[in-house]
Formats: sequence, structure tokens, C-alpha cells
Amino acid sequence: MRTIHFTVLLVTLFLGLLVAVQFRIHRDIERTVPIQRLKRLTAEVKAARAERDRLQAQVAELRSELDAATAQKGLDRLKRTLREYQLEAGMVAASGPGIEVVLNDSNTALQPGQNPNLYVLHDEDLLRVLNELKAAGAEVLAINGERLLSTSEVRCSGPTILVNKSKRLAAPFKITAIGDPDTMISALKMRGGVVDTLQQFWGIQVSIRKLTQVTVPAYAGSYSYLYARPYREVK
Amino acid sequence: MFRRYLAIIFVSLVVGLLMVFQFRTTNQVEQTVPYDRAHELTVELRALAKERAGLEAEVKDLEAKLSRARQGYAQAEETIKTEIKETGVLAGVTPMVGPGVRVLVSSRETGTPQGTIFGVRDEDLLKIVNELRVAGAEVLSVNGQRIISTSEIRLAGKYINVNLKRITPPYEILAIGDPVALRSSLEIKGGVVETLREWGIDVNVKTLDRVIIPAYEGPFRYYYAHPVRKPA
Repeated sequence: MRTIHFTVLLVTLFLGLLVAVQFRIHRDIERTVPIQRLKRLTAEVKAARAERDRLQAQVAELRSELDAATAQKGLDRLKRTLREYQLEAGMVAASGPGIEVVLNDSNTALQPGQNPNLYVLHDEDLLRVLNELKAAGAEVLAINGERLLSTSEVRCSGPTILVNKSKRLAAPFKITAIGDPDTMISALKMRGGVVDTLQQFWGIQVSIRKLTQVTVPAYAGSYSYLYARPYREVK
Repeated sequence: MFRRYLAIIFVSLVVGLLMVFQFRTTNQVEQTVPYDRAHELTVELRALAKERAGLEAEVKDLEAKLSRARQGYAQAEETIKTEIKETGVLAGVTPMVGPGVRVLVSSRETGTPQGTIFGVRDEDLLKIVNELRVAGAEVLSVNGQRIISTSEIRLAGKYINVNLKRITPPYEILAIGDPVALRSSLEIKGGVVETLREWGIDVNVKTLDRVIIPAYEGPFRYYYAHPVRKPA
């Protein structure tokens, strides 16, 4: 009789364990998504991207047609203004002399106890390099092919960096800037300057290249103001 | 004795069944993907749909302008002027109004026992502006200087320059956007405001129903860059 009790105890214990594991796995399943659904989602994203690219090409095409349609002589001055605004707003791709700055995480071998976080590129580092370039007269800027606007943020998100709200970029980060190459290079390479600090202290890999011709793509997103509207002074 | 065997047979049967069931569920788990990955794709899909709607409207608008510009000189001039006005809003040459926040930054004189440890640095302002951009700020200014794509916020000598103009403390950053989102992006625990306060810098964030941000005054200097027309 005692052996029976013992057996029942053992079996019940085992049963309980099984039920618990089963329950946990079931909860996990609820938090995951079947592969088929993901496949469909991926296909949809791919199609939407293709459609976006097609529309973007169409917009660029229409812009150059409009440019050609307004080629009359008297409009030169107006069109120069429009061109400046379009460059600032990132509506057109731009090209000119400039530089390319490539930044990558440190390749210093870490000693035990050192904080690896210090030897990795941060959004702040990129912000500072960009700010330095702007101060040195950069006219048009992009990171990894993402055109930078007045509202473009640079945000660390795990190992990647977010730019222009939804664009995820991974290291190495390539900043392209159109402007006077020599001014920009000397601003970056200044003793005690941004690049100096990044290289000396943290071993961040920085390489700067002077380019006679660099092309920066147009802004790939859409423009929409949900909150701001033009302010007309009321008298 | 016989009853005991029966019980054991029965229990073994149940356990066996359970184990098989268990095994099959585990298999099923392997065929699914983490929720995060799918979520990321869904977010991208939504962003793409929004972009598409914007682009479609732009195509329509440009088509209308194109057909109008082809009608004659006067129409072409008018079309260019409309384009300038609309593009000017995006380029920052129009004053803007909307809900948002006002951020006042100043060093505290007697904040810490040893006085101010750090004054306000260019980097602090840069970080605040970046944080506001992350939270979706649509229009920004620092001490009345409209922030455009090439605006620097940089220490030059004793003062901070923005758009090559010298600004002096206290620093006032204005942003138009969702006031609550803008404010919480700065005031989040461990965020910029908390860090700066620990350093003895006073940061005051105020949400406003109506923020007016001036236009960019300076000229656009494009000595090196020129537009590329050909679609890629």
C-alpha cells in the first residue's frame, strides 16, 4: 500500500511539471507570429517599397519636366530662388565637391573590466561631427545615403542608428558633405577637435576622404506638417 | 494486484499522450518568429503607406502645375511663384505657428554647494534639439534663430553661434509639434533634463497651445552644391 502511495505521488508530480511546461510554451506561442504571416508581411513591405520608389522617380521626372516647361528667359531669377529652396528642403539630389567621413566602432582590444559602451559610436558622436561640418560651411549632408533635413534626428537604437524617423542605419556610418573640402577637413582634424577626441580617447575609427565630386540623394520620405502651419501676421 | 497494474497502465498511457502532445507543441514554436520582428515590419508598412499617399498627392499636384505652366508665359511664372511659396515653407523661409513647447535653459548660480559646475555648453543645446527632433518636432528655433538643415549650434570663442549669429544665455528653444510628446521626450527619467539638472543647469519645459517660430533670415549659400535633375 505504501508503494502505491509513493507511485501516485511521483506520477502526480511529473504530471504537474508537464502541465506547467505546456502552459508556458502555449503562452510563448501566443507571443509569436506564424511564419506564413511573416512571409506575407515581408512580401507586402517589398511591394510597398517598390511602389514608393516608382512614385519617387515619377515625382523627380515631373519636376524636371516642370523645370523644362518653365525655361523662359524672364523666369531665371525666380527659378534660382526655387532651386535654393529645393536644395534646402532636400527635394532634389545635389552634387558638388566635398568630403566623405567614415566612422566605425573602436577596434581596440578591450581589457577585462573596461566598459565596452565607451568604445562604440554613439548618436552624440555623429551629432558632433555633423555639427562641426555645418559650422565649417557644409551645404548638403547625408548619412549612409539618408539626406539630412532641419528635422532629421540621429538616434541610437541598440547597435543601429535611426535617422529621419524610420530609417535604420548600421555601422560603419558614412557621412557625405558637399562644401569646401579643405575647410571641412581642417575643422574636423583640428587639435583637440571632434575627430581627435574620438580617435585618441576611444579608438573610434575615423577616415576622411576629399572628393572632387560627390552626389547626395534627395530626401526619401514625405513631407507633412500635422501641427505647424504658416504664420501670417495679423494687423 | 490486478487493480494496481490497471492503474499504472492507465497513468502511463496518459503520460505518454501528454509527452507526445508536448513534443508537437515544441515543434510548432520553432516554426514561428518573435513578435518584435513582425511588429517592426508592420510599422514599416504603415510608414510606407503614409509616404505613398504623400507622393501620390505630389504627383497629382505636379501634373496640374505642369499642364498649367505649358499654357504660356504668365501661367509659367505663376506656377513658379506657387512652387516657391510652397517649397519656401519646407525650406524654413516662412514663419510658422502651432502647438509645441518652450524650453528655457540657464545655468543656476547657487544650485550646488560649489556653485555651477558646468555652464551650458553647445552640446547640451544640440542634445535638446536632437531629442525634440526624435519626438517629432516639425519646426525649431534657438534664441530666435530658425533651425535649418545646415544650422550649427557651436561654441565660437566665448559665445555659442547659431546660423553664424551669436546667441547669449538664457537659451530659449522653441519647437512646434505634439506638446506632450515633445515635453516627455526631454523630461523622461534619465533623459537630458535630468542629467543637466544634476549638473546645476536649470531646464524649464513648458507646453504651449501656440508657438510662433520666425523664418530663416540668412541667405542660402550654395557655392559648391548644385541640384541634380536626372532621376536615378
